[in-house]
Amino acid sequence: MGLKPATNPDVEAATIELSIDGKPVTAKDGVSLYDVISSTGKIIPAMCYHYTFDPFGSCGMCLVMQEGKKAPVRSCTAKAAAGMIIRTEGDDLFQARKKAVEKHLSVHPLDCPVCDADGHCELQDMAFQHGVTNLASAKQKLIPEDTRSPVLDFNMNRCIACAECINVCKDVLMIDALQFMKKGGFNQVVPKGDQALSCEFCGDCLAVCPVGAITNKFSKYLYKPWQMKKTTTTCNYCGDGCQMQLETKDAEVVRVTSPLSWKNKWGDRTDTAKGHGGLCVRGRFGFEYIDSPVRLKQPLLRKGNQLVQVPWLEAMHHVADRFADIQRQHGPDAIAGLITARCTNEELYLFQKLMRTAFRTNQFDSSARYGHLNFVHASRKALGIGRSPNDWEDLTKAKAIIVLGSNITETNPLTAVRIKEAIRVYKAQVVVIDSAVTNMAKLASHPVLINPGTEGLVIEGLIKATLELGLIDEDSTKKHPKAFEALKAAVAHVSLEQVAAHTGMSIDALNSTAAIFAEAPRSIILCAEGIVRQSNGYQNVLKLIDLAWITGKLGQPGCGVSTVTEEPNEQGAVDMGAAPEFFPGQALFSDQTARDRFGKAWDVTLPAAGSGADLVEILKRCRSGQIRALYVIGENPLATLPSSMEVRAALDRLEFLVVQDPFLTDTGRMAHAVLPACTSAEKDGTFTNLEGRVLRVREAIDPIGESLPDWHIMTALANALGDQWEYESSNDIQAEIMKLLPGYYNLGQPRKVVPTVDRYLSNGYAADVAARYRASAPSGAKSQRPFSLSMGQILYHSGKMSTSAFGLIKIAPNTGRLRMNPLDMEQLAVGDGAKVRLTSDLGSLQVAVQSDPSIAPRTCFFPEHFNEPPVKDLMPVQVDATTGVPSFKHALVMIEKA
Amino acid sequence: MAFEDQRTTVYKVDPAHPESETLPTLRTEELLLNMGPQHPSTHGVLKVILELEGERLVKSTPVLGFLHRGVEKLAEDGTYHQFIPHTDRLDYVCAMYNNFAYCRAVEKLMNITVPDRAEYLRTIVAEVQRIIGHQFWLGTQALDIGAMTVFFYCFRDREILLDWFDELCGARLTTSWYRIGGVERDFTASLLDKLKQFLDYFPPKIDEYVVFLEKNRIWVARTKGVAVISAEDAVSFGLSGPTLRGSGVDYDLRKAEPYSAYPKCEFSVPLGKNGDTYDRYWIRVQELYESVKIIRQCLEQMQDGPIMADVPSVTMPPKERVFTNLESMIQHFKLFSQGFNAPPGEIYCGTEAHKGELGFYIVSTGGGKPYRLKIRAPSFIHMGAFDYMSRGYMIADAITLFGTYDIVMGECDR
Amino acid sequence: MRATLLIKKILQAALFDEIWDAMKVTFKHMFHKPITFQYPREQRILPDTHRGALALLRYDDHQERCVGCDLCEAACPSRCIKVVSSEDAERPLQRFASEFYIDITKCVFCGYCVEACPVNALAMTKMYEFSTHDKRTLLFDKERLYDIGERHLDDAKKYLHAHNQEKNVEESREYRYYFPQSVLKPTQPPPKHLG
Repeated sequence: MGLKPATNPDVEAATIELSIDGKPVTAKDGVSLYDVISSTGKIIPAMCYHYTFDPFGSCGMCLVMQEGKKAPVRSCTAKAAAGMIIRTEGDDLFQARKKAVEKHLSVHPLDCPVCDADGHCELQDMAFQHGVTNLASAKQKLIPEDTRSPVLDFNMNRCIACAECINVCKDVLMIDALQFMKKGGFNQVVPKGDQALSCEFCGDCLAVCPVGAITNKFSKYLYKPWQMKKTTTTCNYCGDGCQMQLETKDAEVVRVTSPLSWKNKWGDRTDTAKGHGGLCVRGRFGFEYIDSPVRLKQPLLRKGNQLVQVPWLEAMHHVADRFADIQRQHGPDAIAGLITARCTNEELYLFQKLMRTAFRTNQFDSSARYGHLNFVHASRKALGIGRSPNDWEDLTKAKAIIVLGSNITETNPLTAVRIKEAIRVYKAQVVVIDSAVTNMAKLASHPVLINPGTEGLVIEGLIKATLELGLIDEDSTKKHPKAFEALKAAVAHVSLEQVAAHTGMSIDALNSTAAIFAEAPRSIILCAEGIVRQSNGYQNVLKLIDLAWITGKLGQPGCGVSTVTEEPNEQGAVDMGAAPEFFPGQALFSDQTARDRFGKAWDVTLPAAGSGADLVEILKRCRSGQIRALYVIGENPLATLPSSMEVRAALDRLEFLVVQDPFLTDTGRMAHAVLPACTSAEKDGTFTNLEGRVLRVREAIDPIGESLPDWHIMTALANALGDQWEYESSNDIQAEIMKLLPGYYNLGQPRKVVPTVDRYLSNGYAADVAARYRASAPSGAKSQRPFSLSMGQILYHSGKMSTSAFGLIKIAPNTGRLRMNPLDMEQLAVGDGAKVRLTSDLGSLQVAVQSDPSIAPRTCFFPEHFNEPPVKDLMPVQVDATTGVPSFKHALVMIEKA
Repeated sequence: MAFEDQRTTVYKVDPAHPESETLPTLRTEELLLNMGPQHPSTHGVLKVILELEGERLVKSTPVLGFLHRGVEKLAEDGTYHQFIPHTDRLDYVCAMYNNFAYCRAVEKLMNITVPDRAEYLRTIVAEVQRIIGHQFWLGTQALDIGAMTVFFYCFRDREILLDWFDELCGARLTTSWYRIGGVERDFTASLLDKLKQFLDYFPPKIDEYVVFLEKNRIWVARTKGVAVISAEDAVSFGLSGPTLRGSGVDYDLRKAEPYSAYPKCEFSVPLGKNGDTYDRYWIRVQELYESVKIIRQCLEQMQDGPIMADVPSVTMPPKERVFTNLESMIQHFKLFSQGFNAPPGEIYCGTEAHKGELGFYIVSTGGGKPYRLKIRAPSFIHMGAFDYMSRGYMIADAITLFGTYDIVMGECDR
Repeated sequence: MRATLLIKKILQAALFDEIWDAMKVTFKHMFHKPITFQYPREQRILPDTHRGALALLRYDDHQERCVGCDLCEAACPSRCIKVVSSEDAERPLQRFASEFYIDITKCVFCGYCVEACPVNALAMTKMYEFSTHDKRTLLFDKERLYDIGERHLDDAKKYLHAHNQEKNVEESREYRYYFPQSVLKPTQPPPKHLG
């Protein structure tokens, strides 16, 4: 539409001057007059306007007088032009605006008492502000309420037809699930095609609805806005780190609202490059796990064959005594620990400190091990940076983005919105390479479907294509001729034809992708679960860095190889040293200077450098009986890892298993002691999101039952074991981290780190690179197991935690069905809901199927959040030799009709 | 003795006596006496530390705060409208006048003009409240000094008015009848009848009260020349109301800054000469007659009309409009849940309550709640002069002094 | 003249003239009817406006008037009301107060909640005797409030009338709130007065 400023940083719009209320104002040519006026700090009422999308102009409130025109003009749809003389105030304008409000009021029903928006309603505000009285009452609409959707109710009697919901859905989120429809004599907002609403349920339409026309089913009628206590905190579902407001009434979380709201509708669209303030379905509707009735409220101890509720004092005495006993009898290395990356930075720091100083062992790991560490290790090795180099603003303003192995709209929906904005507003070219037809692929300029598990090969093909097409950046490669030669030699054996044949990506596509990436001034590669959670993840990230290097994208502003994290604080877990190989700040545990520094700071003799164990090693040592006690915080290895990892056997051999979790998990049921922990809504702290920003988590409600924050329990445990920890709040821990890692919090903004690619390229690169591109023979067992089964995230869930959120389960229950392409189902002659037998190398089970056109032919998908049926047990596990990351999301299977 | 008490003076009975060396010595010392907080004549939980030399008061230090409820802080937590019931509990004897003073302050902040009829209603009820206040004062003051009968007669007649309040607004003491922009409810025919009857009945009764006191030599002895304060001192202590006018200072806000229907009524402001307790008593009795006069005039002048200003963004809409009109319903919901949007600024508004100048100072930073609300309570200001006025009088006069200010601790401690 | 005045004064002083004056008034009162009465045998007659215990009301057809809008909670200056509202399980899309508490120990009887109620579900009655052996019973719950409303229905209606809240029963019927219907299943007939 072009009413918004041409925000592309490459093209500047001309600057013009106009006069507003007698004051000269400069603005960009062609932008909305309303934006120009609001940029001066003057707020004209407008009910259909929101800065995140183009003006719509239906409410008729934003009237201004333009000199030379008789009637007032709508400022939102008028373009600012040079020399305009505008008046924004005056009695005539006030009366005109009042008329507009009256028009909306006259057909509005009298239902403030039962409306959830009452008190948070722009129509109310406007009527009140303009002092409307003595209105002629018009005919009531009497439209029945649309309650068909599982999430949102549409009461079109209240609608003022501002179309904010439609616009935000279409323009910002590019989902386009709503439309206007003339029905019963009134223009109504209905879900596309007047069906029950089925969309991503992000709820941004609910957030921008200025009246109560769209209401939230999960908190319907439970509240009035004025009763709520609002706590701004960080979402606990994925690594995007969205800010949200938990609205609570007493000890109950009633709803979640976003910074995106009709209440703050003024801004410049360029502001949205750092995020538009919205939430996704998990953040907005997945809050019910917090005060779920199945939350643990008291510590449990195993007495005989069952877990019995005991008071905290007894539980802590028991836990401390048992740990001390085992430590005394079998030495410190008989104890190990696991922690989830859903804990705050402070807790992750405290956990590794507890392990290293109180238990004196280096056997512990966090859930960052499931994938993110692949990226961290590769990036650290090649560039010296242990995190994604690009932030949301880079993504929004990129000219080319390659999304490789990431179903980003499902895993990190708000990062996906950044890419959508890059497509829509900044006209970026987006190449989506995936083995499924993802939502992003539907929007991308270059969607590419590849065979599952061939991502690594695709990267090789891209490098080869880059070399063949001569797209290399001379400046970067000339500095390291040796390394470049080594790389050329290493990929010499790769043939594009073979790559194309194996991956299913045509040579043309490879060539054009390589060209798009190399030629764009700002290009980013985004790799996620399809790379880092698969086998060879570490090597594949390094290959991507090679590609970025030879095209000269390393260290350039707005360019780089990035990843997204699945759990909110995976980055924080690495930064806080909750991994055996790292100290806080990602200093290597084996590094002597770091050992001296931290040993001195903590006043202990640290465990020997080689004695550490990561997740896989810990389980092995548990099985061998070397580890006798395990301290598990928020992790659930039993439900996460395939049975081939023999987790149950490992846990069975333990003398003492402590599980600290808000819920009684599968692992918890095996434990000797279960300690009730808080969710992030009940504690203070920080998360580090995928950009490296440190975000505050704030306590919204008091801990439920007798549950306690993890840091509190750990402090008590350390003190019971004889240490003197004096942390009284997470601020005390923060203060200690600040001393050890100066600048880590840095007001939330990540520190700029310059990639040091030269060190790696001149030292040992040549040796590495040959091994990296060694021809990997694609498995020929295809005929036996023709289908490729993958497990992954779906939009409505995150890990296992979200399955306790009643609302999310209502939206996406465990159907227990395998998703397959309809063509394949036709071939197998099975219909929706029919049972099939699924056989992999590790076993076989019966499962129902469901058709899903977004699944590529010859593949099938099962969400990783559910273990019923236990599809995960069919998965083979491959452990990365360098990083110890277990990958178990992909298997070759045979499907027969059962 | 290891140390000598500083306040103890030891002296001979008569140092000039030839045998003074052999005469015994008398030790006299100042006595510190805690009066209150549980004392029947301190009018609430007030404690005064009296320093006595014999029966004489050397110094008296009022200790306040036993009835502190943080009313000013409570105001910051609610809308302007919600504070009205809290004002009932300031001077709980005369809730109407507190309501009146507060509403006037908010109306000044919001720049609202109250309709004529409402102004008359407000004036009438305020004067009825003044009568109640003075009756209450007269009864208790007389009781404190020792005359019990007056107390009974005053309270008997006060009952009539309290019942009248009950019929007017539903409560006898905690009235909350005034509203920002008007009043809650109009007079009914029965209320008007009862009020008129009372106006005929009451003046002779005042004469009756006076019979017991004016010629009573105990009363006269205990009030004339007791707790005298000069006009200059009274002004510099910030006294107001009858306490100030007793010293002959002609300052009455009803005349100085006429408000409500007062400018339309003829009445005189009685003034004292000596500034003693008796003059203050006399003024209050005269004010009873004046109040009756004002009420009569108001009843005559009052015309039919609305009892609530119609400013949609501030005043509550009538209930029947709420049921039928959306804009009134919105207004209703907005006002009750969030309050009206006050302009940023500060305002002080003083009103002549029967005790003195009752002022509300409001600081608004915009929005529906006051940023700060300060109450200038006459009882509190008057307690400032207690020490000065009590010096040199007998201990029994301390009780007269409490009474003569007409203090109510609810207002003093807030 | 002056002498006679002086003599009169001396006589008055000697004969305690003021006592005779006062006694005259006192004796006159011996023949008045006493204005006190014997509570609790005798009860005060309260005016209709009297602000006593709060009550919740129903419509004539026994439907609860309250729609759980929480405005009374917002209006209450002493924060003694707690309303828990939700969707009625039996009647989809209808809002009602599933729980309603008034802490009568905190209540200041200002009547703001009645004024705030947009459906006149609340009213005050002439009941003022709350004495109890158990302080906990002074937390009035929904059941108790409806019970008071039923037992003091006349007083409640008079109160609403006296305070200009509701003219008569017809009016209350007319203002009754009608909920939107669901596309899936209508739960009530459409309102007559709006048809």
